[in-house]
Amino acid sequence: MATITCREFLSYLEPWMEGERPQDAQAHVRTCPNCSSVIKDLEMIHVEARSWSASERDAPERVWTALRAQLEQEGLIRETIPASVDRAQTAAPRAGWFAGLFPRLPRPVLAGAYLAALVAVAFALSGPVNKRVNEARWLKGTQTSTSPLSAQLNFAEQNSNSYVTRSNPVVAASLHQNLAIVDNYIALCEKSVSEEPQNEVARDYLYEAYQQKADLLTQMTERGENVQ
Amino acid sequence: MARTRRIDTGELLEAEAIRLAQQGDAAAFERLYRLHNRRVYSLCLRMVGNTAEAEDLTQEAFLQLFRKIATFRGESAFSTWLHRLAVNVVLMKLRKKSGNESSLEELTEPDEESGGPRRDFGGPDLRLSGSIDRVNLQRAVEQLPPGYKSVFVLHDVQGYEHNEIAEIMACSIGNSKSQLHKARMRLRELLHEALRAQAREDRKAASAETGGKD
Repeated sequence: MATITCREFLSYLEPWMEGERPQDAQAHVRTCPNCSSVIKDLEMIHVEARSWSASERDAPERVWTALRAQLEQEGLIRETIPASVDRAQTAAPRAGWFAGLFPRLPRPVLAGAYLAALVAVAFALSGPVNKRVNEARWLKGTQTSTSPLSAQLNFAEQNSNSYVTRSNPVVAASLHQNLAIVDNYIALCEKSVSEEPQNEVARDYLYEAYQQKADLLTQMTERGENVQ
Repeated sequence: MARTRRIDTGELLEAEAIRLAQQGDAAAFERLYRLHNRRVYSLCLRMVGNTAEAEDLTQEAFLQLFRKIATFRGESAFSTWLHRLAVNVVLMKLRKKSGNESSLEELTEPDEESGGPRRDFGGPDLRLSGSIDRVNLQRAVEQLPPGYKSVFVLHDVQGYEHNEIAEIMACSIGNSKSQLHKARMRLRELLHEALRAQAREDRKAASAETGGKD
């Protein structure tokens, strides 16, 4: 059999590592310690590298958190659709906690309502922009501008009540109990704001309280839908 | 009425998750992320050797994926498509780091004047002696040119076949094989260099010890 040199074997090396082993190359490897050593080294590198895959691990959770925030910021994702909810009912994507209050309204109407309420609350709760605005006038503004939001929350509450009453009475009782707690909290916050209309902390608490009520009503509505 | 298909564990199947993600479903995005983040993160980590950068690159790769997911038509496997994006993100990053706009070809062969594999086989004293130190190999991989490193990590670490790597790297199968071979040969050289350096250190230490005794 014709033998090959080490230099010639170089051209066989790449296919050799891919499993192609011509007889003349095999004969050379059997008699050449250098070339045989190269092959062993390359095989060891491959085997060692392959073992690394066993120590692969997930990216830290913060990567997903940051990614999700970015996706939301870019408007690429919408709220998760619960598996139990019929897709036909959820064809219109939700637009946050406020949207949960009005699940059956068309999206533009919902967006308008959302915007109107935000403007009203922002006006009422952000405090006097202009120092010349007197307290009495501002207090009046607070009371009148939050009233549409209170009315909307009341409307949503009635809506949610009709859902929940048809569902499990135990769940309904629990939700009503929670609602009563939140209502008391809102009353306290409203009182604080009316006493100290320029107190930003009091206004923040009131806004938080409204949000809590909205979240609770959303839950009630969803539970009612799921039961149906 | 069609409902979301879920396997017994309540998790979305990949194909269904892709379809829902194309409609913007947040749970589907998360499912796809959970399915693939390990491989993408590992690839990035092996490529840059730094966890903070690997995290950033993983996030960037998935962000690009989700921005483009509506255009995914299933012509290639989803994981291949994702890895292609990830490799591109990493290579772009490495190019920016190196401060020039070099081509992929340059990134794979920066040190070869002859255009072919190096002819240095190494003498008997340079043999790796039947074992490879994991840390040394990791250091050597970090020193590989990015193109070599991509193919090596994809093939030898992550177990992709050459036809898949060719798709991921947008090159021919032959090119993938050739890059892998060059990467392994370069690694062997780097490992030998590490052995030589270690031997020199040992000799220095031994002579210092002998000198100290005199």
